[in-house]
Parts: sequence; C-alpha cells; structure tokens
Amino acid sequence: MSTTAWLTTLQFAGVNALFALAIYASLWTGVLSLAPIFFGAVSAFTFGYLAGVTGLSPVLCLIIGVALGAGLGAVTAGLLVRLESHYLAMATIAMVLIGRVVILNLPEYTGGATGTLVPGDLGTWAWLIGTLVVAGYVMSRLAGSRFGLAADAVREDPAVAQTLAISPRRIQFVGFMLSGALGGAAGVFQASFLQYIGPDTFYTHLGFVSLAAVVLGGAFYWLGPIVGAVVFTILPELLREPMGEYDRVVTGVLLVLIIIYMPRGLVDVRRLRLLKARWWRSRASSPSDDGPEPTDVAGPARAEAAS
Amino acid sequence: MTQLLPDRDTVEPGTELAVDIVGLTKAFGGLRAVDDVTIRVPRGRIHGILGPNGAGKTTVLNMVSGFIQADAGRIEVFGADVTRMQPFRIARQGVGRTYQNIRLFPGLTVLETVVAGAYMQRSSTIAGAILFSPGERRERREMRERATELLDKVGVRAGSSALAETLSYGDQRRVEIARALATNPRVLLLDEPTAGMNDAESEEVGRLLLDLRDLGLTLILIEHNMRLVEEFCESVSVMNSGALLAEGAPTWCLEQDDVKEAYFGKRSDAARIATLRRARRGESGT
Ligand SMILES: Nc1ncnc2c1ncn2[C@@H]1O[C@H](COP(=O)(O)OP(=O)(O)OP(=O)(O)O)[C@@H](O)[C@H]1O
Ligand SMILES: [Mg+2]
Repeated sequence: MSTTAWLTTLQFAGVNALFALAIYASLWTGVLSLAPIFFGAVSAFTFGYLAGVTGLSPVLCLIIGVALGAGLGAVTAGLLVRLESHYLAMATIAMVLIGRVVILNLPEYTGGATGTLVPGDLGTWAWLIGTLVVAGYVMSRLAGSRFGLAADAVREDPAVAQTLAISPRRIQFVGFMLSGALGGAAGVFQASFLQYIGPDTFYTHLGFVSLAAVVLGGAFYWLGPIVGAVVFTILPELLREPMGEYDRVVTGVLLVLIIIYMPRGLVDVRRLRLLKARWWRSRASSPSDDGPEPTDVAGPARAEAAS
Repeated sequence: MTQLLPDRDTVEPGTELAVDIVGLTKAFGGLRAVDDVTIRVPRGRIHGILGPNGAGKTTVLNMVSGFIQADAGRIEVFGADVTRMQPFRIARQGVGRTYQNIRLFPGLTVLETVVAGAYMQRSSTIAGAILFSPGERRERREMRERATELLDKVGVRAGSSALAETLSYGDQRRVEIARALATNPRVLLLDEPTAGMNDAESEEVGRLLLDLRDLGLTLILIEHNMRLVEEFCESVSVMNSGALLAEGAPTWCLEQDDVKEAYFGKRSDAARIATLRRARRGESGT
C-alpha cells in the first residue's frame, strides 16, 4: 500500500474514532444510538451550505457543527429517551434513514442526489488530531466525574441508579448532548476530508462501521472506541493484499471472535482490574501455595516473588 | 388477621413517623403478593419485617423504594406522600436501600461504587470536570475520603480498589450498605443484610444497625436470623402470604401461634423449633 493510501486510511480511522466516541457517549448512559450519524450529516450539510453560500470560515463552521449536534442531541433525547431500549435504538436507526430522504429532498441546500462540494481546510492532520485529543481529554475527565459515575451506574443497572437519587433520563439526556457534539464534529471532519458529501456519505454503512468500532474496541471505557476505530479501519487494508477479496470475511470472523472471547472489547478496564487483583493475590500467597488461579499472568509474578 | 400487642401500642402518639405504610396492596396476576399491609415506623427505630419465603416482604420494600407501583394504599416518608413517586425522587426524600440478591455495578471498584452513591451529595458540573476546576478536584478528593470512611464504618475488609463484584458475599453486602449510606439517607431499607454471613459477621451488622440508629437513621430490615431480630429490632411486622400476621415486640410476635405456624408449618413442629431456638439463645447468652 502506498504512503498516501495509508495516510488516507488513517485519516478515516480518525474520523471514525470521533463517530465511535459519539456512539460511546450515549452507550455510556445505557442507550444504543446511531443518531450520531444523523447529527454528523446535519452538521456536515450545514457546513457545506454555510461555507459555500455565505463563505463562513470552516473553523466557525466546526464550532457551529458541534453546537448544532449538541442541540440536536438534546432535542432527540427529549423526544426519544422515554422509549424502551430496543425501540430507542430502532428510532435512531430510523433517524439515519430519514436523514437520507431529507437530504435528497432538499436539493437547494444539500445538492440532492448529486451532493455538494465542501472546503477541505479542516482536512488536515493537525485539526483531526487536535480534535481527537480534545475529545479524549473531555471523555477522560468525565470518566471519574459526578456525571461519569452516574452514567456507569445507569448503564449497569438503571433501577439501582435510581435508588441512588440518579435520574436516568437526565443522565441519558446529557449523554445524547455529548453524543451530538461529538457527532457534529465528526460530520464536519468527514466532509472536510472527503471535500464532497452526498446522500450516502452519512448512511447505515458509516453507522455500522462506527458501532463495530465501539464493540470491538470496548464500550466501557472511552479509549475503547478510539482503539476500535483505528484497528477496524486499518485491519481491512492490511488484509486486502494477502487475502484479496476475502478481507471482509476475515474482518467479520475477527469481529465475531473478539465478541466471543473479549465480550467487553479490546480495551477492557474490568479485565485489567481482575488481572491486577489476581496478580496481587498471587503475590500475597506463598510460592508453594498453589491457588486455584490460572497461571498465565500470575505465573511470572509468582516466580518474581519467589526469587 | 392482625394481632396487636395488647398492652403496648407499637407507635406512641406524638412520635414522628419516618415511614407510614397504610393499606398497601399489590397483586401479580391473581396472586396477592401484598394484601392490605399497614406498617408504621417512627423515626429512629429499627424495625424488622419477618415472614416465610414468598410472604411479600421484598415486594413491600420494592413499593417503598418505588421499584413497583402499589395497586392500593399509601406510603409516606416523613410526611411526604411517595406512593406514586419515581424511585429517584423517593431516594431524594432520603430513602436508601440494599438488595436481597446483591446488585452491585459490574466493572466498578469498591470505592467507585460508594462514590457513585454520593451523586446528590455533589454539586460539581460537567464544565467543572472538563475545565479541571479546583472545586471539582477538591470534591473528588472529599468524596473518596468520605467513601473510605463509610467503607471503614460498615467494615469492608477488602481494599477499596478491588472490583466490588469480586468480594466475598459478606463484603458485597457491606459495600451495598456503604453505597446506600453514601446517599445520606434518613431511612435505610435492608433486604436480608446478613444472608450468607456467619454468626460473627451477622452480629457485626447488628451492631452497625445500632450505630446507624444512634446517628438518627430509621432502619427497616427484612431478616431471617431470629436471634438477630430479637437482639436488635425494637419492633417487627410479621407477614404471611401477603398479609400482616402480627406486629409488635419481636419476642412477643414470635411467640404467637399463627406466626409459628406460618414459619414452621404444623404447630407441633413450631413448638419444637421454638424450644430449640430458646435453648440456643440461652447458650449464646453465657
Ligand atoms: N415482579 C414480580 N412479578 C410477579 N410475581 C412476583 C414479583 N415479585 C414477587 N412476586 C411474587 O410475589 C410473592 C412475594 O414475593 P416476595 O419476593 O415479596 O417475597 P419475600 O417475602 O421477599 O420472600 P423471600 O423471603 O423468599 O425473599 C412471591 O410469590 C413472588 O413469586
Ligand atoms: Mg425477599
């Protein structure tokens, strides 16, 4: 693969990471939602329209895209959060489907079936990495915060969370806003890198790829979606040469294997904590005392303790 | 039919009621899981709910904490009607609880679990967290300290960075109590807090209940360990098949014939087990 092809692949991995983070933001509060794809479409087409017709600067468009996404997230949450989980997920998929119809039927704003050109000023590494760093920082700060722990509680057991005086709907509302802001940013970047957006740019394929990135990377820690997006975007490219047309089959099989053997994804803090606990336990017990633990990780530690 | 203690009323007039359950009824399909139950618990009381399996005890607690809606009846907590309130609003009225089948959050450490319970004790915002504000960081520190104190108080032995779900059952139940205490409740509902604990551990829980009572909490617990009930509960309500069977002082209630029958089936068996129980109590007294 050529260097430029690699760079392009990595750029889309970065944008997918933003979309995956957006999906993660609502999944964190226990809501499976593909709405970020819709938020991304709205912000991208708004970007296209504003930059093309009014000549607004792309940076301002990015800020508008983020704000618009957050606002749409709030409206969506207001309308949908009362639904039961499966129906809520279906409703957000419907939003993606409806989004395409809207794009096709507003040709004076979106270019309709032909799509529209957008400026590529933000389609640079500096902007992409900068935004990813900011997004990662925000998520990591939120992870241990009042909101973050409440989100963990709502995701794991909303009924118990309620007895801790946490309102799941409120937490999910915030999650949707966060998801909207990230989706809005992702949409602007997707548009900036492609420099062309059409009715199929923000459609089910993007939704499922981003969702797969979250599942693969880990849906329980903010680093998971980023790692997942990078792996899931690069892997098919790596496999294309040796596997030829079978790369998708291999990617699919890998995804299934990861789901079976690493159900919480590649980045799994819980597993790390379990391993750490096992390691401490094996260090605490005497070398001759063979506990019931498997020795894969405890083994070296025990040898170390014995020496 | 409800038997009331003849010589002493369970609630002296004039005392403030922490929890006032009147005529509570809940049916699942054709089954009357809770049938016209009235339980009044004054502030600062340790009140037990007893009864054989399937009596409807957990269902009563579930209605108090808002998990399920009552078909009829009324529940007040410190004078506020919570009968139709959403669970998180009931929690904000100062009702905390634990669960018969432990419900900890998978993936969270012991410390995180307890800090999660302090949600309403915190005032920091998302902006504060993102902007690395000193106030938010101080709050995080204070929450960790308070959680550590609570874990110490309830006697969790495992380290606070361990995954809560990996602890022994006894510790898991104690973490649940600490998590409920972190909400700063006025009323604490405990569903079989000593299930799976040995006698020494149960005794510790009993002493914890006294401590909490002395701090001003009102405690309602479902408990199968009769020795603990007699030692630590000031009053009890005995349920069977959804209905209230007796209420009053624990020792008196447990002597009632229909209570014994509900618990142990035939009256003759009941007499034998009661004797055994008394023998054991005498033994532990020495
Ligand atoms: N959500 C529910 N749906 C249907 N039936 C239920 C439900 N919850 C409880 N029941 C039924 O109501 C009855 C009372 O149950 P409950 O759990 O309140 O009993 P309990 O007194 O707590 O018993 P145990 O000592 O076994 O915990 C039981 O017959 C139970 O099967
Ligand atoms: Mg029960």
